Amino acid sequence: MPDARDAVIVGGGHNGLVTAFYLAKAGYKPLVLERRAQPGGAALTEEFFPGFRSSILAHSAGPLRPDIVRDMQLDKYGLRLITPDVGVVSLSPDGRALILYNSVKQSMQEIGKFSQKDAAKYPELQTSLAKVGKVIGEALTLAPPNIDHPNRGDLWGILQTGRSIRNLGKKDMYRLLRWGPMAVADLVAEYFDTELLRATIAARGIFGTFLGPWSAGTSLVLLIRGAGDPHPAGSSYFAQGGMGAIAEAMASAATQAGAEIRSGAEVVEIKVKDNAATSVVLSTGEEISAKAIISNADPKRTLLKLVDPIHLSPDFVMKLQHYRMPGTVAKVNLALAGLPEFTALKGASDTSALSGRIHIGPEIDYLERAFDESKYGNFSKQPYLEITIPSVTDPSLAPPGKHVMSIYMQYAPYKLKGSDWDSQRVALGDTVVKTLAQYAPNLPELILTHQIITPQDLEDTYGLSGGHIFHGELALDQFFTMRPLLDWARYRTPIKNLYMCGSGTHPGAGLTGGSGANAAREILKDLKK
Amino acid sequence: MANAYDVIVIGGGHNGLVNAAYLARAGKKVLVLERRYVLGGAACTEEVFPGFKFSVCSYVVSLLRPEIIRDLDLPRHGLEILPLDGTFTPMPNGDHLWRVNDHGRTHREIARHSKTDAEAYDEFGKAMQAMCRFVKPILSMVPPDPATLNPKELMKLLFLGRRFQGLTSEDKYNQVQLMTMSAIDFLDQWFETDVLKATMSASGIIGTFLGVRSPGTAYVLLHHYMGEIDGAFRSWGFARGGTGAISNAIADAAREAGVEIRTQAAIARIIVKNGKAKGVVLASGDEIYADIISSSVDPRLTFVKMIEKGNLPDDFLEEINRYKFRGSSGKVNLALDALPNFKAMPGPGAHLRGAISISPSVEYMERAYDDAKYGNFSRRPYIDMVIPTLTDPSIAPPGKHILSCFVQYAPYKLRPGLNWDDQKQAFGDNVINTIAEYAPNIKDIILHKQVITPLDLEREWGLSEGNIFQGELSLEQLFFLRPVPGYAQFRTPIKNLYMCGSATHPGGGIMGGPGRLAALEILKDFKGAA
Repeated sequence: MPDARDAVIVGGGHNGLVTAFYLAKAGYKPLVLERRAQPGGAALTEEFFPGFRSSILAHSAGPLRPDIVRDMQLDKYGLRLITPDVGVVSLSPDGRALILYNSVKQSMQEIGKFSQKDAAKYPELQTSLAKVGKVIGEALTLAPPNIDHPNRGDLWGILQTGRSIRNLGKKDMYRLLRWGPMAVADLVAEYFDTELLRATIAARGIFGTFLGPWSAGTSLVLLIRGAGDPHPAGSSYFAQGGMGAIAEAMASAATQAGAEIRSGAEVVEIKVKDNAATSVVLSTGEEISAKAIISNADPKRTLLKLVDPIHLSPDFVMKLQHYRMPGTVAKVNLALAGLPEFTALKGASDTSALSGRIHIGPEIDYLERAFDESKYGNFSKQPYLEITIPSVTDPSLAPPGKHVMSIYMQYAPYKLKGSDWDSQRVALGDTVVKTLAQYAPNLPELILTHQIITPQDLEDTYGLSGGHIFHGELALDQFFTMRPLLDWARYRTPIKNLYMCGSGTHPGAGLTGGSGANAAREILKDLKK
Repeated sequence: MANAYDVIVIGGGHNGLVNAAYLARAGKKVLVLERRYVLGGAACTEEVFPGFKFSVCSYVVSLLRPEIIRDLDLPRHGLEILPLDGTFTPMPNGDHLWRVNDHGRTHREIARHSKTDAEAYDEFGKAMQAMCRFVKPILSMVPPDPATLNPKELMKLLFLGRRFQGLTSEDKYNQVQLMTMSAIDFLDQWFETDVLKATMSASGIIGTFLGVRSPGTAYVLLHHYMGEIDGAFRSWGFARGGTGAISNAIADAAREAGVEIRTQAAIARIIVKNGKAKGVVLASGDEIYADIISSSVDPRLTFVKMIEKGNLPDDFLEEINRYKFRGSSGKVNLALDALPNFKAMPGPGAHLRGAISISPSVEYMERAYDDAKYGNFSRRPYIDMVIPTLTDPSIAPPGKHILSCFVQYAPYKLRPGLNWDDQKQAFGDNVINTIAEYAPNIKDIILHKQVITPLDLEREWGLSEGNIFQGELSLEQLFFLRPVPGYAQFRTPIKNLYMCGSATHPGGGIMGGPGRLAALEILKDFKGAA
C-alpha cells in the first residue's frame, strides 16, 4: 500500500473544497473524494431538462465570506458573481408587491408606499444588524472555545469577543443579549407595522429550520445571517451559470493550489485503529490511508455510519443521536416556456423586480401556520416559498425567451405522518404550483417540466441525512460551541486524526465557506505539530 | 421636615410584604399601601361563596425561598405548608399516569408505560437536582450588569463563570441544553412515553406565551424540581387556609417588625420632583411622603400609569413598553357538592390529593398553544387542578369540596371581534366540558363557579395583560434582562424609586425572592446615603 497521504477529504461540497484549498495552500497534498459525478454538494448546476440548467439545490449564496473569495481568487477561476440591485420582492395576495433593494434609500422609498414610519425605521434595523453582525461575524470566524478546558487561545478569543461586545455600546450590546433568544416575530414587530415587511424579514430567521417565526431563537438565525449581509431581508447573491459555478471555481482553485479531486469515488467506511482514523475505504474496495481524514459529510453520517460507532463512547453516540437534523424544506425546479406574469408586478416597465429573490409568505401568521402543519407531520398546504428566476439575470441558463424557476418550499417535514415522500411527491409539486398560481395565474400553462426534490431525495441523492440542507437544525442549542455537540465544536472528533469541516460544524447556516475555512485553520495547527 | 416614613411600599402582594418586612427589621419605618380590601395580591384567599375559601389565583407553593421562611420566622406567624403529593394524569383511553413522591411506586407506575423510561426517570431526577444546585444561588443573587466595568459586577460574572466551570462536563452539557432547548426536545432525549413528556413539559410553559416545543421552555422544567419546602427537593404544597395564609403570615411578621399596612388605599400617582421620588398621591387625594418608594406592582403600572410623562428617559420608556406581558392563562374555581369521579381511576382516593393534570399528549399541549397563537382560547386547554379540601377541610363546609383549575392557554389578546367579557362564559364552559371528558360527573356536582379571565386578572389584581408573573418568563426577560436591560438591580431611572415585584429577578411564583433582594439593595443605598 502506498504511504499515507497528508489528508483525505470525504465529500467535495463547497466546504470540503474550501478546506482542501487552504490545506494545499499551506503546502499539503489533500485528496478530495466526491461520491457524485462532480464536486459541489449542494452548490450544484445541472441540466434538468434539455436546454434548461438550474441551481438544483442552493440557489443563492450565503453570501460567501469575502476573505475566502479573495484567498481562492475565485474570479480568476472564472466565477462571475451576480448581485442584482433587488434583494427580494415580496408578494401579497391583495396584489401589492414590496421590493427591497440593496440600496437603503430605494428600499425606504418602496416601504414608504406602505408606511412612512416603517420606512424611517428600516435603516435603523440595518445599522443595528451591521453593528451587532460585526461582533457575531468575528465570532463566526473563530473556532468556538473549549468550554471544558479553555486554553490560552480560547480565553484570548473570549476576551476579544467580550471586548468587541462591550465596544458595541450599551444599547446595541443589550440588543445582542436580548435578541439572541428572542422570536424573530417579536424582533420585527419592535421595528415595523407593515405585515408584509415583517414577514419578509422574519423569513430569514426561519429559512431551513424546523422553527416558526414565533419560535424563540429565530432572531439569532437572523443575526447570524445578518453578520454576513446586514440587509434586513438579505440580498441576492447568484453566480453566472448557477451555484455549480461556485463549486467549479473552488475546485479549480483547490486543484491549482495542489489538491487532488476524484469524483465518482464514494467513501463507504472510515477505518479506525487504536482510536485513530487511519484510512478510508471506497465502494470499489480501494483503501486510501491518510494522516488526517476530514469529513465534509454531516456529523451523523460521519460518526455513526462511516465510522463504526464501536470506536466511540456510548455517551457520545447517544448525544450525537440526539443531534437534531430533521429537514423541513423541499425543492422544486421548473422549466418555463416564458416569464410568468405576477399580478402584483403588472405594468412593471422591466423584469428587474424579478432579478432577485421572490418571497411568498405575506404574513407572520401565514408563516407560522405553514410551520404548524409540519409539527404534526404534514407538509404545508399554504407553504412559505423562496423563489429565484436566475435566467432573468443569466439568460445562458435557458433557451432564448425561456426561463428556469428555482423554488424552495417550506415546510416539508422529513418524517410524514402516516405516509412517505414517494407517495406525496406529486401532491407536493401541485401544492407549490397552486400556491404560486395565486400570485402568477399564468404560471401553470408555462410549465414545461418540474423537478421535485423531497427531503427524502435530499438524503438519498445528495447525502444530506434527514434531508437537512444545513447538516443539522439551526437552534440555540446547536450553535457555536454546541455545533454539533458541546465541546466538539472545534472540527476535531473523539477519534484522533478525524476531523469535520461541513455545515454541521460552526458556523454552518448557509453557503458561506465559513465551516471549511475554520476547519482548515484548526487542522493545520495539528498537521504542523 | 423629616418624612413620616422611610419607605412606602406600593402593593401588598407577597413580594411587597416581604420587602416591607425586611426593611422594617432593619429599623426602617415602612408603610405598605394595598389597593384591594385583602392582602396578598395574587396570593390571596377569599370567601367567594359562603363557606368556600378559594385560593383565588395562585394555588400551590413550592418556590418560597427558605431563607425568607427562616428570617421572617413564618411558621410562628401561622404558616403551615401541607404536602401536595404527586401528579395524576388521566388519559382519554381510560389509562392514566400517576406519579407520587414515593420513589418505588412512581418507578413501577412509569415502568407500566415504559421500562426504559422508569430507569431514565431516576437518572433525570438526579440530573435535574444537580442543575438546581447550580441555579439556586442565582435565585438569591442580585443580577450583575454586564454593561458596566464596575469590578463588583465583573466579579459576579466571574463567580457565575467559576460556578459553571465547577460543573462536570455532563452537567455543563445539561445546563446549556436546559437554557436553550424546548421542553419537548429536551425530554425527548430522556423519555419515550408521550403522556409522561406531555405532563412534565407543562411546567415549562406555565405563565408564558410559548408552546412545549418553543426553545427556552426547558429551563422552567427546573423550577418544578426546585420546590424546596423544608429543604426537601421537589415537594409542592398547599398553605393551610389557602394561599392567602402565606401572605397573612408574611404580613403578620411585617407588622410585628413595625410595618404599617393599609388596604383599600389605591395609589393615583407617584410624586416625582426633579428626578427624585418623593411620595405618593392616593386615589383619595391624600399625599404621603417618604424617603424611598418601593413598587411591587408591575413596570407598566409603575412607570406608565403612576408616573407623569416627562419624568423618564425615552429609551427607558421604550424598553418598558416593549416588555412582554401577554397573559396566557385563566383560572376556574369550582365549589363542589362531592368529589369528581375520574374514568381513568374511579372513586375517591389518594390520586385526588395531588395535582390532577389534563395533559394527555404532547400534540394535545401543542395544539392548545396553536389555538392561542391566533387569538383563541384553547379549544382543549391544558388544565392543572387541585382539590385542596382533601388536605385542608377547613376551607369548605363539611363534605363539600373545592376544585381549583389553572387553565392555559387563554390569550389576553383575543382575535379581532372577540373580547373577554363576551367570551368569559364560553371559556368557563369549555373548561368544564374538557374536565367532563375525564370526570363525567363534574357537571352534576358544581355548586358555584368562579371564572377568572386574563382581563379579570388585569382589572381586579392589577396584573397587566393578565400575566401571572408580572411579565413573561422568557429567556430575553430573565436575570440581568429582567425587567429591562440595565435596570435589573431593582433601581430605576428615578432616584429613590425601586422595583420589588415579580417583574424583577428572580421573577414570578410565590418565591419572595424579588421582595427580599430589593430590600437588601435599598438598605445598601440607605447606608450609602448615611
